[in-house]
Amino acid sequence: MMDLQAALGMVFDWQVLLTIVAASMFGLFIGAIPGLTATMATALLVPLTFFMDPLPAIAAIVSATAMAIVAGDIPGALLRIPGTPASAAYTDEAWRMGREGRIGQALGVNLVCSVIGGVIGVAILAFFAPLVADFAIQFTSDEYFWLALLGLSCAVLVSGSDPLKGAISMLLGLLISMVGMSSVSGQMRFIFGIPELLSGISILPVLIGLFAIAELLRRLPEVGKLNLPAAPTVRRPFEGVGRITWRYKGGVARSGVLGTLIGALPGAGADIASWICYALARKLSRTPEKFGTGHPEGLVSASSANNAALSGAYIPALVFGIPGDTITAIIIGVLMMKGITPGPDVFTTDTVLVYAIFIVFLLANLLLLPLGLLAIRGARHILAVPAAMLYPLILLFCIVGAYATNNSMLDVVIMLILGLLAWLLAENEFPIGPMILAVILGPILEGNFLRSMIKANGDVLMLVDRPIAATLGTLAILVWVAIIVSTLWSMRRTSQATAPQHNNN
Amino acid sequence: MRINDLLLGALMALLGAITVWASRDFPSMPRQEYGAGTFPTIVGVMLVILGGVLALRGWRQQGALFAWQSPVAIKHVLLCVCAVVMAIVGYVQLVPILGFPIVSLVMLTALIGWLSAGRWLLAVSTALIATLLIWLTFAELLLVPLSLGILEEVVY
Repeated sequence: MMDLQAALGMVFDWQVLLTIVAASMFGLFIGAIPGLTATMATALLVPLTFFMDPLPAIAAIVSATAMAIVAGDIPGALLRIPGTPASAAYTDEAWRMGREGRIGQALGVNLVCSVIGGVIGVAILAFFAPLVADFAIQFTSDEYFWLALLGLSCAVLVSGSDPLKGAISMLLGLLISMVGMSSVSGQMRFIFGIPELLSGISILPVLIGLFAIAELLRRLPEVGKLNLPAAPTVRRPFEGVGRITWRYKGGVARSGVLGTLIGALPGAGADIASWICYALARKLSRTPEKFGTGHPEGLVSASSANNAALSGAYIPALVFGIPGDTITAIIIGVLMMKGITPGPDVFTTDTVLVYAIFIVFLLANLLLLPLGLLAIRGARHILAVPAAMLYPLILLFCIVGAYATNNSMLDVVIMLILGLLAWLLAENEFPIGPMILAVILGPILEGNFLRSMIKANGDVLMLVDRPIAATLGTLAILVWVAIIVSTLWSMRRTSQATAPQHNNN
Repeated sequence: MRINDLLLGALMALLGAITVWASRDFPSMPRQEYGAGTFPTIVGVMLVILGGVLALRGWRQQGALFAWQSPVAIKHVLLCVCAVVMAIVGYVQLVPILGFPIVSLVMLTALIGWLSAGRWLLAVSTALIATLLIWLTFAELLLVPLSLGILEEVVY
């Protein structure tokens, strides 16, 4: 109880509250602009969080991402362009509702269900995270090695249609994480004679490069080429929203819980959760034929799911230090920069901070309602900001942000190189998620492996000597089998698809 | 820009081979075979294998080596990429000499003016406000040493 009081005191500090509101507004703006994602909002925020205490830093990221996911629904409904990938599942549905003159209702449903989904996610997070942490406290380096490997493997498996490219992307991330002095042996690796690289490539320029610069390179050529139509005005949001939400309450609850669970899986984030819950709602619906014609049922499910997933991703991140998606990968990076290594120990040594994080989550999700309403009202103005003005500002912000952590121009150059690499890879359908997870998990994977080997005198079989470690190890190997099978399967399918063409030639 | 998987796979395999070669001399830990070289070698070998598989797959699909699918012309995309690269490299090279305010002003004005097809008034005013705001936030509030460059003599 004392801890809870202390946590409340930490959160209800004017600096933290101000940070939450400011970050929410920022997330709202970035999310509402088509093409700018929640991950990009986080990457742009990180340089500022570097200068904050741990709690406001996390609060900023949590509120910005929650708001960005919600705001991403707005251009989807107004212009049929999803603001973030997490809204893509139901953009068409919301837009069709808008064409029938129910635009306010569509956005109102999005907003209310997002809040409910978010709160369900927070409740599950706050309930389960400490339980799992209690269990995880007995983990040793063996279990952490397997957990990190499992996280990476799942990230590759769910990264997209092509696990082979996902795996290569992961390997590149591991390579990036190995630059600098090895944490266990102190050996210098891949520093190319640059002394600044001794401490490794810092995480910030990597994040900004992979998620902001690469995105900028992808979007910049479209400036002036693709003209957005003027957004219609939103009238009477919330009309009939309560009725619709109540009618599909089962869908909201189901998607909230399922979304949280999907979010908790390593590699699967808000976008996958919203696709799956939309598809499930359609399957379980009494009127599946209405889906895709401006029917709110799928909208209700998917918009609860994506916000719930956001909270779910924090369960493995806080309990094991294993990120569930790109956003939590960034959070773990931020916490590590502040000298806090997420893991079960944090739940006993820093209980107040953990409680405070849960409260921040709840607050950020509740704040979605008033701020989201504001966003819906102001959407026309946000969408009218010229991209020609916005992108150069983002570029300058990236440069200054990358420079700011170490005051080093080398970081700016690293940001550029990785941005170009990520852009080129994404153009060729390599997923970038596994890469950033590998950058974060690489040192955890390697450090724990080497520590285990020191304990076991180099006997690899000791890695599976403990029952939990053996279970996790088996799981990781099963995931790899699934990856190999699905790669071979897709290769066979493509060769079958191309074979008839050759015969015709 | 679609590059054939054959080329990309070969490139990845080459990178893997270089990694294996570069980590051959990393010492292992006392009295065992694992050490600083273990992981780089594993990652390198896996890159060689997976890169090889990707290359093989690309070769079997027999597509063009380079393909362009975007609705925007390739020239324009490359121009934009060059603009970003030049802006960042220019920043890195020029800020220590000219100082952040001048470089930021010129860079933003040029980029916004170019992208908005000649709305220079918008460009100059946005550049002025943004430079001021970033200076106040980063240099004054967060104490990031953004260089003043030649302005140092003017200010002090």
